[in-house]
Amino acid sequence: MRALAREALALVCAMILIVCARDAAAQRTVTVWHPYRGAEQQAFDQVLQAFERAHPGVSVTTLAVPFDAYAAKLEAAIPRGNGPDLFVDAHERIPSYLARRIITSADTAIARVGSDLEPIALEAVQSGSERYGVPLALKCLALFVDEELWERAGRPSLDSLESIARARAALPPSAYPLVYYASNAYFHSAIVHALGGQLFDPQRGTYAFDGSPAIESLTFVQRLLADRVIPPEVDGASVTPYFRSGRAMTVISGPWLVGELGGGRRYRVVVLPRVRDGGRVMSPFVTVEVAFLASNARAPELANELAAYLASPAAARVRATVGRQVVATQSVWSEPELANDAVLAAFRRAASRGRVMPTHNNMRLSWEPANQAIRRALRDPRATRVAIDQGRRRYEDASRPLPAKRSPLPLQLALGLIALAIALRSVQRARDPDFRAAVKRSMPAYAYVTHAVVIVALLVVLPLVLGATTSLYAGRDGALEYVGGANYWDIITARGGSLFASGTFYAVLLVTVLWTVANLALHVSIGVVLALVLSRPLLKLRAVYRVLLIIPWAVPSYVTALAWKGIFHRQTGAMNAILSSLGVEPISWFAQFSTAFAANVVTNTWLGFPFMMVVTIGALAAIPKDLYEAAEVDGATPWQQFRHITLPLLRPTLLPAVSMGAVWTFNQFNVIFLVSGGEPDGATEILVTEAYRWAFTRQAQYGYAAAYAVLIFGVLVLGTRLLERLTLGKQGGSK
Amino acid sequence: MATLSLRTIRKVLGANAILKGIDLDVQSGEFVVLVGPSGCGKSTLLRTIAGLETPDEGSIKLDDRDVTRAEPRERDIAMVFQSYALYPHLTVRDNLAFGLRLRGESEATVKSRVEEVSQMLGLGALLDRLPKDMSGGQRQRVAMGRAIARRPKLFLFDEPLSNLDAALRNQVRVEIKKLHASLGATMIYVTHDQVEAMTLADQLVVLNSGKVEQKGPPLEVYARPASRFVAGFLGSPSMNFTDAVVSDDSTSAVAEGLRAPIDRQRFGAIERGRKVVVGIRPHDVTVRKGESSAHGYRDGATPTEITVAVDVVEAMGFEAYAHGPVGGAPFVARVEGAADALPRRGDRLALSVEPAHVHLFDPETGRSLAGAP
Repeated sequence: MRALAREALALVCAMILIVCARDAAAQRTVTVWHPYRGAEQQAFDQVLQAFERAHPGVSVTTLAVPFDAYAAKLEAAIPRGNGPDLFVDAHERIPSYLARRIITSADTAIARVGSDLEPIALEAVQSGSERYGVPLALKCLALFVDEELWERAGRPSLDSLESIARARAALPPSAYPLVYYASNAYFHSAIVHALGGQLFDPQRGTYAFDGSPAIESLTFVQRLLADRVIPPEVDGASVTPYFRSGRAMTVISGPWLVGELGGGRRYRVVVLPRVRDGGRVMSPFVTVEVAFLASNARAPELANELAAYLASPAAARVRATVGRQVVATQSVWSEPELANDAVLAAFRRAASRGRVMPTHNNMRLSWEPANQAIRRALRDPRATRVAIDQGRRRYEDASRPLPAKRSPLPLQLALGLIALAIALRSVQRARDPDFRAAVKRSMPAYAYVTHAVVIVALLVVLPLVLGATTSLYAGRDGALEYVGGANYWDIITARGGSLFASGTFYAVLLVTVLWTVANLALHVSIGVVLALVLSRPLLKLRAVYRVLLIIPWAVPSYVTALAWKGIFHRQTGAMNAILSSLGVEPISWFAQFSTAFAANVVTNTWLGFPFMMVVTIGALAAIPKDLYEAAEVDGATPWQQFRHITLPLLRPTLLPAVSMGAVWTFNQFNVIFLVSGGEPDGATEILVTEAYRWAFTRQAQYGYAAAYAVLIFGVLVLGTRLLERLTLGKQGGSK
Repeated sequence: MATLSLRTIRKVLGANAILKGIDLDVQSGEFVVLVGPSGCGKSTLLRTIAGLETPDEGSIKLDDRDVTRAEPRERDIAMVFQSYALYPHLTVRDNLAFGLRLRGESEATVKSRVEEVSQMLGLGALLDRLPKDMSGGQRQRVAMGRAIARRPKLFLFDEPLSNLDAALRNQVRVEIKKLHASLGATMIYVTHDQVEAMTLADQLVVLNSGKVEQKGPPLEVYARPASRFVAGFLGSPSMNFTDAVVSDDSTSAVAEGLRAPIDRQRFGAIERGRKVVVGIRPHDVTVRKGESSAHGYRDGATPTEITVAVDVVEAMGFEAYAHGPVGGAPFVARVEGAADALPRRGDRLALSVEPAHVHLFDPETGRSLAGAP
């Protein structure tokens, strides 16, 4: 007995010790989140190890978070107290992080190293009177020059885009003097800046991509395209292959390209050139990578110390040499090892000529309209002005002032009254002995359905109610305020503009309906034809064909969608390869509504026909053979048998499949989002992808997106009821 | 109205020979019933006539036109299916009109024919119903109506009554008989039911494993079965068969408990000692009361023609079937009488039979030993 007590005491003591030890350790741990990979991650880890060595008893826990989900994870984790003490991110997110109160002032940390930091970087982290985050590195665009091609072109001057363009004649037709992501506003802005314009006015906080600099910049790039100075339809990913295969004399890209190039080609990096001979130099946007101090930190002092250390010369040296970062710490650049690094030095010079990316909240809203305007203008030079105007309108649309906040009192009152009425009625009924007896009798029945009711309530009813409730709120970046039906009013009145202008609810609804009808027509006709062929008893290898034809259905739809997007790629896609082998000019599939829409429909038909085929095979098997024989004896030709027996008898099975298919197609997000992505200019968006854009690419206007979702729900309910009515009517009223 | 002639029709499905050379002539206006057990090929023969199956060999002539390879729609034949095969999505009216419309008849013709047929079959009240809203008998009538409306050359019926209950079957059977009389059409009717076969047929064709066993007017086939198969197939309960030996004086066939007189006129002189199969229908025996035991049946001293030791009695009310062994084979005798006068298990029944009702068959071939009638 005594032994037992002694053991228990020992156990308690041990537990107390463990808890204390954990507590002590927790005070000496600092948690860091970062989005780095590869060399950058390696350098960062080295720096953190050095910090640990310099601070005995301190341990640094790191977490590399994939870039896609980075912001969302931070925003979720920090307020709940399980986020990092310090994290690395780009400076543009300062306003958003401030709004969510997940970062704190870094003035103390900056005070330790401030004088050594690039002024442009310090400017970037300034918000109001305080500075948020310690600047670590700068990122911007520079010009990569392929030495071999440059020499082959007779070493032309790289002083301006115009002089680079003149190398066209000296290069083979398959190579281009310049390759860059021309249709992207981030790249295009460097040209706009050189021509005296800008994408966004940080002082006034407004969209600024219009006026003569915008037109001039677009006309200039149109000229480059027309003269085959730059290749058509290059996106971010296709720049690398151009450069690696020696088909690009120069490339405009960022430091990330260095890692992708490897040692295959001899190149150098220089600052971006002028646009016109004798004009101003191109000025790229500069993004500053910042170590942010998280609010709610468990070890704020350590975090502060670590932030300062990261910007210290010792750490900066490692980040620059190992991680290939253009560090914001000035003193290390005078060290010979860095001073002689031509690539890093070029990027640093480029950054010094660049322009800090504005941190204004509306800046992020400018990208989508600007991108669309640029794409449209490059596709169709005659529509340059229209494209620019459209861009401005889209921006205004997305940044329009939020509807006035309203008191939720009327709604609460109405809901309260309804609840009261229901309660009164329930009490009234509960007093009725008959009703009570009925309830008692059906108790066992309730037991049987309870689990289903709970599951449906949780998975269907609750999200629906929450979505509908959200639609009564408005706000950006998740800060929602009650506005009553204002979102609906905005949507239904097309935000005051023309009802069928591009991007309005009605225009998108029209596209959605067209999309649904076109798909269903193809799904059903192809499905039925294949089912008929596969149902022929004489066909050999029937089972094999059936399995093969069901495969498109079995493959996850996003995989199929991505595959088809590749097939429709202008340069590398199979579709254009087939066309050109037939002597047809390659088509820019996503440049016009008709071809982009067709590409979407083809993809979704590929995905959709197997379902209709399987349903039809089943329905065909259920038609008695006798009927065909009777019809044959009655004198029906094979076509008449199909027309008078097969089709009418397929209908009862096909109609539910069609209405189900209609709902699926109406909400087919994957294909639209992944294949055309709404191109050109959002013309192929359908309602559900449009709702997605409002929720996730236009400053998280969840309320507005929810209103869209509720309207989609309404349209679908109406649509299916209508279809039901029609089909019941057609069946001759027989039940 | 048409004539049909089949010559050496053969059909093989997979490894099975279904039809093994069928010859058949159907006169205009005749009602021919194809009867036989399941799997005898009667349905396949009918489908071959309809054109739903193509024979591997042989020829089919309809009104002297060779239609062996013709499509069903080119033959002008109507068929009533066992399942009725009504078009489920069409009303009775449209079902009746279906074949007419396919043949491009004018709407006026269609209307009058539908009218006519619905009157003939009493379908007037059902015209706007769908098949699923009707009873089996009603559907059956619609199926017949659909055939009649077209006024085809030849009607084919594929076991049209087998999905009906017994009472309805009797009623519709009579209707079909009347219909044939009033239309005077050529009809071929397939059934496995001997009552239908006997009552409906002008000509009965008994099929057995792909061959015609016997054809002729039903009563003749019944009275003079050409083979043990036909004899056993027609009649209920079925004919009794007993292995026997022809007596020394060739006047009777003898087995244990059996001495069956032989009709010399029908069978001629049969050598004595020959092994035969004696066939006697249960209805063709009479009880020799004085010689039967118990319940007024006395065990007599004089030899009777048939002696049955009764082991089972099936009482039907107005008659009874007494079962017992004769010559080592089961034997059934029909006995008339009131319930309390019926034989019981353990009784010995003395029966006699008219020479005309004794059938003799070859034990090897099963063919009747009777000469040509």
